[in-house]
Amino acid sequence: MKRTFFILTLIISTHQSLLAQDLEFFEPKTTVGAYGELHYNNEKVGNAPTKSIWDFHRFVLFFGYSWTEKWSFKSEVELEHNFVKNGQGELELEQAYVNYHYSDMFGFNVGIILPSVGLLNEFHEPPLFFGTERPVYHNLIIPTTWFGSGASIYGNYFGFDYRLTLFESLNSDKLSLAEGIRPARMKGYKPDASGFLYSIKLDYLNIPGLKVGNSFSFNNAKGDSTKIDITIYEFHTKYEANNITAVFEFGNINYSTGELKTSRGYYFDLGYNVAALFNVNTKIIPFVRYSDINTAAKTVSGGDSERLYHFSEWMIGLNVKPLEQVVFKLDYSERTRKLDDRKSKFINFGMGYMF
Amino acid sequence: MKKLTILFLFLNFVLFPQEIKENVNQALQTCFGKNIQIHYEKIKIDPNLKKEIENMAGQNFFSDEVHFYKIFESDRIAGLAILDNVYGKSLPITFIVMFDPNGKILCSEIIKYREPYGGAVQSKEWNSQFKGKDDQSGFVVGRDINSISGATISVNSVTKGIKKLTLLIKTLLKK
Repeated sequence: MKRTFFILTLIISTHQSLLAQDLEFFEPKTTVGAYGELHYNNEKVGNAPTKSIWDFHRFVLFFGYSWTEKWSFKSEVELEHNFVKNGQGELELEQAYVNYHYSDMFGFNVGIILPSVGLLNEFHEPPLFFGTERPVYHNLIIPTTWFGSGASIYGNYFGFDYRLTLFESLNSDKLSLAEGIRPARMKGYKPDASGFLYSIKLDYLNIPGLKVGNSFSFNNAKGDSTKIDITIYEFHTKYEANNITAVFEFGNINYSTGELKTSRGYYFDLGYNVAALFNVNTKIIPFVRYSDINTAAKTVSGGDSERLYHFSEWMIGLNVKPLEQVVFKLDYSERTRKLDDRKSKFINFGMGYMF
Repeated sequence: MKKLTILFLFLNFVLFPQEIKENVNQALQTCFGKNIQIHYEKIKIDPNLKKEIENMAGQNFFSDEVHFYKIFESDRIAGLAILDNVYGKSLPITFIVMFDPNGKILCSEIIKYREPYGGAVQSKEWNSQFKGKDDQSGFVVGRDINSISGATISVNSVTKGIKKLTLLIKTLLKK
């Protein structure tokens, strides 16, 4: 009896001393966030007349709730091009998942998720990349934002960040010479459930300012009339330190059957925050980008069909960030089609925000 | 007695997780050494000072109070530390900043990270950038502090949090 009393006293007193420090900080909480971007796009393709438009390209609302430190819900709803009518504009549920975060080494999520492929797919808010529009690589090689039904487990060991994803299949009927896997994404709309896309990503993060990593994905894609095995390999690296921002990404996609055999592309960015020279807090970052994209790098027909969708592009531009979360952008680019040297010119500017 | 001791340890572990406290003790010992005495107190920040620091750092305090530690070695003051929180995308990030007796940062460490993304702010290498900084130093991400791709929100949040504590410690030292 005496001993029991002693133990209870010990437990209570330990509890009180811990309470005295009161070190539990979590409270269930709703989080609201957003990002968006308004663009001016001016393009002159070959000898066609110049076309220019205003486009509130993306308006995205983030909504999340944390039940406990470990269990939370996160979602993003996106309105594209400001209006939805007759197949123009899109209303998308881009993320909606339940997340269990056990520790830094292990967690998982299930729902509408983003596969961890490339630098931008999971981190696509406008202040995070150069250029008014997302890099053309992220339009045609790794189509961003790529979202859909799936589950993933993730964690970090000694600076190595991993994510294993089980994701909805691509629709092999929709693969295209001009756009690779972009039109084959099902975006969570009743995707075929007889197979999965399997994806593994590994990044190394323990050098300040540097992220370097790669991912490999495999999918037995199916459509109504085709069945194609698709393998996606991509390498990505970003250095952001000492006022320098440098990015390089390379992606290669192989298709087992059909006219299209390989899509391939890469780009690099180099920017420098010149405001640092004048000790100004607003970031003023002129940058240059070179891209080489070929969605039909290898085809069964070969010849000109492998040059029709091959182009290179130079871009120069400026990102101005008065705050980390607000950006104004301006850029000029020239695209050269390899088949016939046809030149296209683009002038874009815009505003973006995130919180 | 042995059984009861085990029961005590088990119940204590289950009922009252000590993760944060243990991590704080470990962080203090890593920074100041094993033979230290720790004096803990929770301090309320003067409302006017709180507002002033929040304006200077561009970030609100997590609450009106912070957790303050005085570190002694052989009865001589070896340094000071403040434990506080900032919000990442949705959840609190618990961090500690350890100072020398003049308010210069000796070490900083993330005590608990709860978000699925952005965990790289916990890296020793990233935190080591704050060593030597004081209330006069620059804390601009990208210029004075390197960013981490994929952890932008956490990097900005923690950097501002550390700046706030550096400004706060200066006023505590004047008292």
